[in-house]
This record gives sequence, C-alpha cells and structure tokens, in this order.
Amino acid sequence: MAPKSTEATGYDVPIGTYEDATAMVGTTTPVRFGEIAVNVPMIRHYAAMVQDGNAAYWDDEFAERHWGGVVAPPGMLMTWLIPLEWKPGGVGRPRPLLTARVPLPGDTFVNVSNDAELFTPIRVGDHLNVVEELVEVSEAKRTSLGTGHFVTTVSTYRRQDGELVARTTNVLFRFMSEDDA
Amino acid sequence: MIPGVSYAQRYWEDVEEGSALPRVEDEITYRRVIMNPATTWDYFPAHHDPEYARSQGQPTIYVNTMHFLGFVDRLATEWSGPRGFIARRKVSMRRSIYAGDTMVGEGRVVRRYTDEAGPRVRHLVDLELTVRNQDGELCCPATVTLEMPVREPGEPG
Repeated sequence: MAPKSTEATGYDVPIGTYEDATAMVGTTTPVRFGEIAVNVPMIRHYAAMVQDGNAAYWDDEFAERHWGGVVAPPGMLMTWLIPLEWKPGGVGRPRPLLTARVPLPGDTFVNVSNDAELFTPIRVGDHLNVVEELVEVSEAKRTSLGTGHFVTTVSTYRRQDGELVARTTNVLFRFMSEDDA
Repeated sequence: MIPGVSYAQRYWEDVEEGSALPRVEDEITYRRVIMNPATTWDYFPAHHDPEYARSQGQPTIYVNTMHFLGFVDRLATEWSGPRGFIARRKVSMRRSIYAGDTMVGEGRVVRRYTDEAGPRVRHLVDLELTVRNQDGELCCPATVTLEMPVREPGEPG
C-alpha cells in the first residue's frame, strides 16, 4: 500500500518507520512557553463547554478567598500550551505536540489515555511552560480502528517562577486509516 | 453569591467509603463538540469535520480528550464542592462519545485517607468514575484522587 498523507490532520506529522520512531525515544524538547497567560475569558468559555458551575471558576471573590485567584479547570492544562494557528511573520502550519512529531507509518491518530498528577492550582496570571519527553513507542498492534503504534509521552508543566504545576503521561494511538470495503 | 454557581462544600470527615456520587447526564450536541476546538484550541479535524472523522472509521465527530477530562473533573468536584482539588486523574478513552450521544457519568468513593506531601498533611479520597454513552457502553473509565478540606475548629457540622 502506498504511504498515506498526514496532510488532512492540519499539522506537519512526519511519516516514517517504526525504526525511525524508536530512534527518537528519549528525545526531550526544549522548554516551551504557552503563547498566552491563564486568563478569565478562556476559563469561562471552557467551563461553559463542560457546563461546570464550580465557584472557583465563576466567582472572582470566592476564588480569591479560597484559592488566591480565579482557578483554571485542570482539564485545560494542555490548552495553555497549544500554539497559535498563525503568528505575524509565521510560516507553515503550527507545530504539533511531540506525540504527533514522531515519524511512523500511520496517517492519523486518536488519543488513548492520560494520567495527570497536579501539584498546585493553576490560576489567572500564571504563564505555563512545558517540557515533553518521548518515552515509548510500541510495536505495531491491531485494534478495531486499524493497525498502528502506541506513543507514550511525559509532559512536565511549570509556572513562570519555576514552580512545578503538573506532570502528565499520555498515550496516543497512531494508526493507518482503512478504506471502506 | 452568584445564582446557579455551585458553592455547596463537602468535608473530608463526612465522606463514607463506598458511597455513590450523583449520576450526571449530559447531552452532547453537534454544537457542543464544535465547542471543543473553540474552547481548548485543539483543531484536530476529528472534532470539527465529520468527513475527516469518517475517514478514521468513526461515524462522525467526537469529543476530545480535554472534554473527557473536564467532564470527569466536573463529576468529582460537583460532588466535593469548589474547594476540592484534583491531585491525580487517570482516564482511559476506550470508546468515543459522538455528536448526538449522551455522556453519562457515575462514580463512587473507594478510599478515604491522609498522606504527607512534605510538611503538609493532605486529606484525600480516591474516586472510581465511569463515563458511558446512552446505550450503557463504557467509554471512559477514570480514577481521581481528590484533596478535600477539613472543618476548621468551631465550624458547623
């Protein structure tokens, strides 16, 4: 079968072999800061999407008293580090997370699992950075979606003052889409 | 107090192991899935382009990881109250929730305990949670370790 393109993902996702991928295991990214500091408008839009009425997200006075500021829902952690889709002077497409920069045969992916340890609340004004490490790429496995590889990354999130905020282990399934019979 | 906002707080002392969390049902419309990229900046096309989702072998667009995380956290902290802190959360996404599905969240308390994080004693509960679709199929099992407040001396019981 001819290699398929990852073009439709909207990101530059490299095609390669399992050997290319295993050669990359152990790779650690440089420290990368989020584009935008933690802020109330994004918190409220996300809480509205989840329909979560938690006072720590919606009531400034309550949040200040109990948490020292409006709290970001912890499910937003990754959002604070997603690159802008375009920047002045920018070229090409936004760079995806490390997990999607691993060269493998698959043309698409789904996320499989996420294990997060959170050490301190994320609050308005925090400016987060992340270091990502590729820790494992499985051999080819067959699932109901198709054949592919499980890609495990560990991401360490810190605040601008160096405080450790969170550490997550994520598994993504990178697979070859199958044409309908 | 802002009308409709959740303030009700549960305290660690009052938690019983084995007790159930309230069941939460949430209808996931097409519009709701589109809110995933709008609010999380995750533009992976399977969350906004049905044709792309079908090319992956899925019937239509489906909710993203950050929506599952938000729903699991909502189950935990709606039960605990807004002074609960998610210290650890593991989710396993076994099956997608598609536009048009209903997310059904359930959970129970499996353990209540303390530990020491440096000089600080943490008052913790472990929760086991499930997210199913309207047909009862298990989509996302999760475990959450939640840090909860204890009553201040003199605080009403």
